[in-house]
Amino acid sequence: MTSLPGTRRLLTTWTLLMGLTVVSMGSALLDADDWQTLPLWSAGLVILATGFKAQRLLMVYLNLRKATPAWRGAFVGLVILTLALIGAGYLVGRMS
Amino acid sequence: MKEHELPNPGWGPLSALPGNPLMWVLILSEMLVFMAFFALFSSERAAQVALFDASQQRLDPLMGGLNTLVLLTSGLCVALAVEATAGQRIRRARQWLAAAMGLGVLFGVIKIIEYSSKFAIGITPDTNTFFGFYYGLTAFHFAHVLFGLALLGLVSWRTSLENVETAAAFWHMVDLIWILLYPLLYLLR
Repeated sequence: MTSLPGTRRLLTTWTLLMGLTVVSMGSALLDADDWQTLPLWSAGLVILATGFKAQRLLMVYLNLRKATPAWRGAFVGLVILTLALIGAGYLVGRMS
Repeated sequence: MKEHELPNPGWGPLSALPGNPLMWVLILSEMLVFMAFFALFSSERAAQVALFDASQQRLDPLMGGLNTLVLLTSGLCVALAVEATAGQRIRRARQWLAAAMGLGVLFGVIKIIEYSSKFAIGITPDTNTFFGFYYGLTAFHFAHVLFGLALLGLVSWRTSLENVETAAAFWHMVDLIWILLYPLLYLLR
């Protein structure tokens, strides 16, 4: 049996994930009447918060912290690659 | 870690992963498929920024954010169901699974409300490239939510640690994909 994260760690992670989601929503300036392109720092914050959320979800919810470093690296690497592609597409769009 | 201490001894590289190892093959392949779609979306966005920005304004990021919060809470319920199953508290595990499924259904209801409001003003997948992606990606994800709900229902009936861990792994993957999808479609502009 895999060593499980435990209720306390799960609740801490959930609180963190909820908080980061609210931060992402806030940093994207959710004012429908004032729709504008995000400042770069804000877009960067959204991507960073998303990456951190994905990492926490992988390590705690999916419990990969108890898997081998190779599996942890593979999944975190996939998330980083995905976010890099998203970020690169966004930046190219901004610069064009 | 010694081989006999691993969750799935005899499965080679997959032996260190919880639940049924074949589920992890599915999870990895699903992540790769979604990554390819995200890359395609990003490249199309880079080529048609004005169209994508104008279309994105017509989405409601609060609905998307609400759905993120709903899925994250559902993921917590599933993780707590795994904990309860490991502690032989099967009744409690089923309660957590029921809560997770209820939140999964709520996710679907919010999504349907969102789709309906778009269709009501004539926004369909054919409207433009952005909405083609919007409907395609979210509907493909929604199909995974439905499959996940079926899996959770199945393991609520056949409640063993391996079964619950397997369904939980799939459900968390659905959660993970949405975490990546939300900023891409709703937030980054």
